[in-house]
Amino acid sequence: MAADASLDSAIKIAGAMVGAGLALGGGAVGASIGDGLAGSQTIAGIARQPEAQGRLTTIMFLTVGLCEAAYFINLVFAALFVFSLGK
Amino acid sequence: MALGIHLPVTPLLGIDITPGIHPQFKLFGLTFDADIIWATLIAALVVITMGLILRRKATSGVPGKFQLLWELATGAVQKQVDDTIGPRGAQVVPLALTLFVFIFTCNLFEVLSIGSPYDWLPAPTSDINLPLAMALTVIVLVHRAAIKNRGVGGYVKHYFTRPFPPKLFLVNAFMNGVEELVKPVTLTLRLFGNLFAGGLMLSLLASLVIWKLGPAPIGAVLSLPFTVVWKLFDMAIGAIQAFIFALLTILYFDTAMAPDEEHAKDGDFIDA
Repeated sequence: MAADASLDSAIKIAGAMVGAGLALGGGAVGASIGDGLAGSQTIAGIARQPEAQGRLTTIMFLTVGLCEAAYFINLVFAALFVFSLGK
Repeated sequence: MALGIHLPVTPLLGIDITPGIHPQFKLFGLTFDADIIWATLIAALVVITMGLILRRKATSGVPGKFQLLWELATGAVQKQVDDTIGPRGAQVVPLALTLFVFIFTCNLFEVLSIGSPYDWLPAPTSDINLPLAMALTVIVLVHRAAIKNRGVGGYVKHYFTRPFPPKLFLVNAFMNGVEELVKPVTLTLRLFGNLFAGGLMLSLLASLVIWKLGPAPIGAVLSLPFTVVWKLFDMAIGAIQAFIFALLTILYFDTAMAPDEEHAKDGDFIDA
């Protein structure tokens, strides 16, 4: 029975780690793509219309914040897996 | 201390970081995080004091630096509201400005924390309770504004007739329902996640201290510059997140207060 308990906890920790890793990895991929798109389009917009830089920069930071928020939501879930469900 | 090495227990973790531990007290069967409560109160005190100082010092002549700071924040929020809602949204400005200043102040507390499980003054927004309370307040006010704008009948009808034609009312109701449910959740988790991640990062950086390579404690040397850099970055994140919270509040009020025909062509593109 004791062996079963340790096996259970090992499976739990392994599952938590794999889940958190998947969440963090996938979230990082998505957030990076989103940030990259926002940044590239902002650069394209500024190159086309340099006088719009002030407005575009604000909107870019906003979009980047929103993209990264999705990643940080993932990070909360990863922390939930690792720090409380996996124990 | 939770930052000791516990190799026999959790070999994978190596370092035992335990987020979400607070000094707690129980009242009426509910558990309260004491440090979050006093940090919130201190942040509120700071904001109120700043407001009172401003009231005493405010002049219509040449403004001082302090007044300039307030005018900058007010002007930014005012411009945002004017751009999105228009003159109808004048009543949203105080709410959005208060949220922005308060959340920004709360987020700045992160600079004071050192990444230990017990920080005396943690960022109150790094606990889920404060962002959740603020998000729920905002959402309740948004729904109240929507009911005021459209009337009860129009408010209910609105859920069934948008964005597709009324023939597809079931699809409409489903999509709108999901949207309304997701709004408070994302509003909460965005703010909480950012600040929580900041605190977690500080814990990780603090735990670098035990990272030794041979006789030289490399981690202890690296820990300080990394922490300084991260805290500077974190301040920027805190400012952006405070702004996003205020901005999303304004956008939600915009969808709630918009007349129907304008709403149909506008669309709400920021929903994440």
